[in-house]
Order: sequence, then structure tokens, then C-alpha cells
Amino acid sequence: MNAFEYATALSTDSARSLVSDQGMYLAGGNDLLGLLKDYLVPSPKILVNIKSLPGMDAIQPGDKSWTIGALVTVAQLEHNDAIQKTFPGIHDAAAEIASLQIRNVATVGGNLAQHSRCWYFRHRDTVCLKKGGDLCYARHGENRYHSLFTGNTCISPVVSSLATTFAALDATVVVLRNGVETPMTVAELYHRAWENPLAHNSLNPGDLILRVEIPTTRPRSAYMQVSDKHAFDWALVSCAAAADISGGVLRSPRVALGSISPAPYQVQAANDFLEGKTLDDAAASAAAGMILKDAQPLESNGYKVPMAHALIRRTLMKLKG
Amino acid sequence: MPSWPSNTKYISHDTRRIDGPEKVSGRARYSSDIQAKGWLYGMILRSKWPAAKITGINVQPALEIPGIKAAVTVKDTPFTVRFYGQELAAVAGATKQACLDALRAIVVQAEPAPLFVVNETAAKKENSPQVWAGAANASTPDPKVKGSPDAAFSQCAAVIEGFYTTPVQIHHPMETHGNTVSWTDEGLTAWASTQGISSVQNSFARPLGLEHSQVRVITQYMGGGFGSKFSGGVHGLLAARLSQAAKAPVRLMLTRFDQALAVGNRPSTFQRIRLGALADGTLHAFDLEDYGTAGIGAGAATGGGGGGVSFPAPYIYRVANSRVSFTSVAVNAGSACAFRAPGCPPASFGVESAMDDLAVKMKMDPVELRLKNDPSEIRQREYRIGAEKFGWKGKYQTPGSSPGIVKTGVGCAGANWGGGGSRRTNAQAQISPDGSVEIRMGVQDLGTGTRTVIAVIAAELLGLRPDQITVKIGDTRYPPGPGSGGSTTCASISPTVNDLCGNALQQLQAQTGVADARGENWFAACKKLGVNPLIAHGNWIPGLSGKGTGGVQFAEVDVDTETGLVTVKKITAVHDCGLIIDKLTAESQINGGIIMGMGYALYEERVMDNLSGVVLNPNFETYKLSGIADIPEIDVTLINMPERGVIGIGEPATIPTAAAIGNAVANAIGARVCSLPITPAKVLATLGKVPASIASQT
Repeated sequence: MNAFEYATALSTDSARSLVSDQGMYLAGGNDLLGLLKDYLVPSPKILVNIKSLPGMDAIQPGDKSWTIGALVTVAQLEHNDAIQKTFPGIHDAAAEIASLQIRNVATVGGNLAQHSRCWYFRHRDTVCLKKGGDLCYARHGENRYHSLFTGNTCISPVVSSLATTFAALDATVVVLRNGVETPMTVAELYHRAWENPLAHNSLNPGDLILRVEIPTTRPRSAYMQVSDKHAFDWALVSCAAAADISGGVLRSPRVALGSISPAPYQVQAANDFLEGKTLDDAAASAAAGMILKDAQPLESNGYKVPMAHALIRRTLMKLKG
Repeated sequence: MPSWPSNTKYISHDTRRIDGPEKVSGRARYSSDIQAKGWLYGMILRSKWPAAKITGINVQPALEIPGIKAAVTVKDTPFTVRFYGQELAAVAGATKQACLDALRAIVVQAEPAPLFVVNETAAKKENSPQVWAGAANASTPDPKVKGSPDAAFSQCAAVIEGFYTTPVQIHHPMETHGNTVSWTDEGLTAWASTQGISSVQNSFARPLGLEHSQVRVITQYMGGGFGSKFSGGVHGLLAARLSQAAKAPVRLMLTRFDQALAVGNRPSTFQRIRLGALADGTLHAFDLEDYGTAGIGAGAATGGGGGGVSFPAPYIYRVANSRVSFTSVAVNAGSACAFRAPGCPPASFGVESAMDDLAVKMKMDPVELRLKNDPSEIRQREYRIGAEKFGWKGKYQTPGSSPGIVKTGVGCAGANWGGGGSRRTNAQAQISPDGSVEIRMGVQDLGTGTRTVIAVIAAELLGLRPDQITVKIGDTRYPPGPGSGGSTTCASISPTVNDLCGNALQQLQAQTGVADARGENWFAACKKLGVNPLIAHGNWIPGLSGKGTGGVQFAEVDVDTETGLVTVKKITAVHDCGLIIDKLTAESQINGGIIMGMGYALYEERVMDNLSGVVLNPNFETYKLSGIADIPEIDVTLINMPERGVIGIGEPATIPTAAAIGNAVANAIGARVCSLPITPAKVLATLGKVPASIASQT
């Protein structure tokens, strides 16, 4: 990697001013160091260590919503009993991320902000659309790990399992933008990736994820993924669902899918369809069909359609507990 | 007449590795741990083109980077590169970062070829771009015919046809390839990660114009080779030239990225098989038409050197009428090389898949079909033992009849391997008046427990404990021995140590007058040596080792028919390797072979991009290996056959695993996934659940 300056910020204001317009924030570093070592992003002039920012590594319960600081590690989420009880979907998503060693240092903010894992983007000697080239190689080449849905030509999918889960829980991601705390839905956080092949999320240079706020309106949540392997492997498809169930019927249900679209994939019509329904196989299956009906399978990723269908049904049924 | 003792204390029992504490405590120094005085890092610049003419390489800008002490090109320009990742130049410097910066500073002028080909199916077409100019990519098939296959098929009661494919498997030992090389006026020392210190000595001496005596190769510990580490390699010669230029030792270990490109691999296979049997199940006709790629190691007529893509067929079976034909196809990719049991895992996957497909068609139990046709009496015994231990009769169901969404299935397959010992194995023992024993052999430990095997045998024959034997190996200054390949190490060193101990006891008797110096007499006898230690020599002698080993494996799997995920629940393995020296390390070999075979069955595959020609998965993120969570219960039974002498076990252990798992998956879902690795995507496609792509819809 190229040389850079290094500074530790002690307040969000100083973090923002240190990073200026040519710097990057460093938290767990899992994603960032890989990007820098392989020269996949423009080299930053300065890395600003944000791990000492006060108050950002806490999980705070609340009546109406919980707050998860951006510096909370994935391992903290995984091992927090209250999270497991209140938001089992978050626990299950955290437990499937990478390896134990990575979970110990990976942060919530970093997981949400991580870049594409597309093997063309990550390859040091291919200049794909996402790197400013002319061509989405995956679209014409090896696309087994790629998207079924996209709003642009790039088919690199979002791989953050926490994003998928936060989407289903209708979480708000609070971003410090130009000195102002800016709340974003998960859809808003990734909308630019849906539209623009050069983007992997909607964050601007200097934007800093501060925390995630999760409403308690959905006491039932679940997350499931399928990978080629049984551990330490990316999801081929991931699915999160959340709802309240009262009197056997679904209230405020939400389903989101990961690894099949540049943004966590949600279909409002399916959520609306499930509202007030008794949760059973038929309802889950119908919802799955609605979510997947516009899938655009390519040469090698068509298997994700039946896989996603199964995962949607299973994740929804898991809400029953 | 030398022989093996029948009542043993250590041989055929469990002895923990004598160097285990060194390894687990980190004191063992692997080749990649060597820090010679004043050493520098070495790194290689590789071609980013799959095919190009390199017209100029300017390393001067690299030399201007602080910390860089040397930069060399692989050869004078112009030259042709034929695969992405081919070596162009190398640098040596004080830090990793300086080397990385230096690689980026080197200026390469190239004329990229407008056309290239990385896909073997495309490459064998007549109008394909040529990997070797002027030579067709595909070799001319030379079918080998036995009996009258065409007529025989019409005599069969049942015939099946299948197209079974296996991917290119990349060599990824835990320790990457590499050396620390120090080349001075006095000679060259290489601390090599190798499975053949003598062959590495040769691979340095010849191209560098050195005498063998000027080249010393040291390999105290190395992290796996599997057939790919017999030579110092292009990277070794580059390290030597960098060392000479920098006047300092250079440690040049390949990165995981490098490893995916240029250290060798197992060729792919695309096997069209027809197999027919008579009404009683006797195999009667076999037809195989295969093609596969050995990368640039293939190529008609052939710039590539022949390219060994062929394999034994119909492998362990004898069929009276057969036709077998291989086509070796060159592509713009790194060359193949020997890979644990060369040819056999793909041979096993093809024919054992066909066997199960035939059994299904004939409504025969697959084990019964094998017992009917397997010519090896030992393997027949192993099938019976394995079936009993595995509970085959209770577990085997009609294919696809397992109820529910997650279906259970079972399968089996057999292995065959040659092995045998090498005559060119020598040993020396120094027995000191204090009773200490030091055995020196110019062999190396591939990771299989060579030191322990030597200590176990010496302890048994001298009446001592293994920890009382000091074993020195991994240095070309010791009496030379063979490379560790082809499952020959144990069968080479065991007779040699037997001879060594016999000679030592004779000499000890002659010098001290103690009739039997073994065991409790040992220290008193040695004391009588006076001041000088005794030196004894040993050579490989016939009659103590054997050849030909078999094995069978049974697999039980769960297949989720909605997600396609395959979970291996159990592997039962029954193997023979003649006289077992150390049961514990032998079992460890079987475990390792099965785990590697699982990777071949379910996860591993080199993925290349047709448009750019690069290897898309040069890392463990997307080149997937079996991990702890994937490994099932493994039940190993070793049949001890002292009467056959010592036989190696490294290769047969990995041969049948993928075939057994493939058969278990087919048994579970009632349809054959014909292609390795068996990914969830392929399972869902086989079940007919995958929608057509949008391209084919329009």
C-alpha cells in the first residue's frame, strides 16, 4: 500500500476535520486494509483511527428503540444476551459473519460500510465497471456470486449481513454528514449502489456512521444464510425477517435479502401482503414468490432464485419461534 | 535374513510425533521461518497478461527505491508469456513494503496477444487461439482398445452413459513454496520448503553451473508439498540470483496469490463414459473419452511437454472389452504437475460414479456390484469390513427415497496405489559411549512423521524408547535419500533403518563383545566403546517393504434439496498399507487425505475468466477449502499386514473420498451431480430447480 499519515481522533468533530476530503476512517480495518493493500481504492492521504471516539462502542437498550454504536464489534453483538433475546435476528446474523478472529475486531459501522466482494472488483489486474472501467466482467463472465436484481449495469451484491437484518428491523443508521446527524434508512444507505456502478453505498467522503437505532416494534426477528461451506464463507443468499406476532397474525412484517442485489432487497408489496396474515407455509411461500418475481438470473446465478425462495420461507417461519 | 519382529513394543502401535512439542510450541523452524544473517525479502513480478510478447523490462526504477538491494529479470527480452502470472522479474529488499513498491516501479513493455484461451472446451476447437504457436492445443487422441468394445456393448444387459467432470485443483499447501537462498563465493545454501532435498540440490546446481558439492539444501520442517515441491522452482533460481547480486541471503516465499498461478495443479477432466454389464453384474464393456487441461503443460506435439492429463481407466476394475482415449488440451494457464495420487482422484470419480449409475439401473446394491467386479481380494475384505462398520445394509436406500426436504444418502468407492521403496536410501548412525544414538538420513519430512518413523523403528530394533533416538534429517550433508513422493517415503526409510540397526548391533557386538546389546544391556555395551563413538551405515534392502495398497471409503451425507447444501455426516475408511509402523501417524494420513478429498468433492476449483484470462480466485476467500465446520466424523480402520512389508499410505487416502461423497449425494437426491465440486448451485440445477438465464429467455 502507499504511505499515509495516521491520526487518532478523540471526538467526532476532530475525526471529521482530520479526515478532510482526502482521508479515510479506520475502525476494525478488515475491509479497509485489504482495499489499500490491493490498491483498489484511491490511496488516502490520512487514516483517522476512530476507535477511541467516546461512547460509540455501547449497546443501549430503550423502550422504543435500541442504540448500537458504530464501534460495537460483531462479537459484542453475537455475545450480548439481551440482543439475542430482543433481536434474535441480529444475533444470528452476527454469529455467521466471517471467523471468530474477524468478529472480534470487525465493527458494526465497518460491516455496513464494507466495499464490494465481487471477484472482478477485488482482482488487482482487472479494471471493471466498479473501478471506473468500461465493462462489468461479471455480467458476461463468472457471475455465480452476483446479483439477481440491480438498478444499473454492475451486479456486485451487498454482502453485509447486518445491513440485511437492520433492513428487516427497519433500523435507522445515523450518519454524521457535514457536521449534522443525518438519519438514513437502510434503503437510503445503499440506494446509490443500486443506481451507480461506482458506488457501494450512499456515503460521501467524510461521512461517518455514528450508530444504528432499532425500533422495538418487531419483537420477532430471524436471519438465515446459505453458503458453499458451513462456516467462514460468504452468504450465497441471506435473508432476514422481522415482525410482531399477536393473536397468531403478523404485524409490521418485513423481509430483506442480502447477496442478491447491490442493496438489501425489499419488496414493499410482499410486506403489505403479509400484514395481518396468519404465518403459515402458504403465506410465506406467496411472499417469497412476490419478492423474487422480477429476478433477472444470469448464466450462473439462477440457483439463487430457488435458494432465496427457500430462505424466505424458512426465515419467516422461524419468526414463530 | 533381515525381517521385522513379530512381537513389538512400538512398531504398529501408537507413538506420538517425536517433534510434536517442537511443532505445537512454535520452536520448529519451517523454511518460511528461516532468518539467515542479513537476510532480505524477495518478491516476484508476474505477467498481468495471459499471452504476450515481453519486449522490454526495466528494473532500474526498482533499484532506486530505498531498501532495494537487487533486481533481476527472469530472462533477456524479448520472450513470450503464455499465462497470467508467469514470472517476469524479481526484487530483493530490506522490507516487504520496499519490495512491493519496487515491483510496481518496474517498467514492462509488452505486446499483449489479441487472442488467448483459458477454457479447455473452447481451446480444443480447431479455430481456437493457439497457446503454443504452430501447434494445435488439443493432442491427437490415441485410443487404446482391448477386446471388442462395440460388439460387447450390444451383449450387455445394462449400459449407462455419463459425462463426469472434475475441475483444476490448485496446490495450496499450508506453507507456500519458497526458499531462503544464500549464494556466496563458497557456494549456495538453500533453506527450501521441499519434499526432495536432493532434487532441489540438482535444480539449483545445474542451471547455476555449480557442482553438487557446492550446493547445500536444508529442510528441517516444511508445511506440505503434495507433489508440487520437488524442485527449487523458478522462484528458487530467482532467489539465488538475487542473493548473488545483493550479496545477502534472500528469503523468497510465494504469496497465496502467487500460489494460485504458477506452482502447478491437478489437471481437469471431462470424462464421457459408457459402462455395460452382463445380467449377473459382471462388467463387460467400458468406453472412456476424456479431455482435460494441464495448462501450458499441455499442447500438441508439443511445446508444453506432453501434459499428463491421462489417468488409469477403468481404474481399479478389469473389463474385458474397453476403449480409452485421452485428449490433452493446452490453455493459457499455469502448468499442471504431480498432485497427491496423480490421475487417481478424477479416475475414481469418473468410474465410481458410473458404477453407481450402473448399479441403480440394474437395481443392484452398489457394494454388491463392487464385490462382484473388484479384482483385489484385499479390497473385497475392506468393503466387507467397511460396510459392517458403516452400517451399509441399514443405511442404503433406493436413490431419492429418503423422505423429507433434507435427504440422506450413502455411497462408497475404492482406491488403488502402487508405492514401494527406493533403493537409493542411505542412513548413518552414530552411537556414543554414553549410549546416545543419532541417526542421520538425507530425507525430509513432508509432514507425515518421517522423524517419528525412524525413531520408532530404531527404538524397536535396539530395545530403546523412541525419545532416546535423536533423528537428523533434512540436510544434503547427510547420507542421501529419495524425495518424498508417490507414497514411497516410509517404504524407503524403514528397510534402511532396519539394515542400519542390524549393522550397528553387529558392530557393537564385534567391538564390545556383548552378544546382545539391546534393551537393558544397551548402556553397558556402549560404555565399552571407550572414547570413540561407533559409526554404522545402512542401505535399503529388499524383502522388508512391499507395493500395492488399497482402501475403501464410505460416505454418508445430508442434502438440503431446497438450498442445495451438502453436509457430510460421516466417512468410514478402511485402508491397508502392509506393515504399519506408527498407527497414529498412519491414521493421521488417512484423516488428511479424506479432508483433502472433501475439498475436491465439494469446494475446490480454479475459476478463470475468459475475457481477461486471470485466475479469479487466487485466495482462500473464493478458492474454498474444507474447514473445521465442514469436517464430519471420520472413522479409520487400518488393516495391519506385516507379511507384506512396509507400504506407503499418503496417496490412496485421498483417492476415493470425492467419488464416495458424489455417490452419496446421488443416492440422497436420486439424481447424479456429474461435476465436481458439488456446490449448492449444481445440486439445485441437477434437481431442475434453476430458472433459465435472462439471456436464454430472450
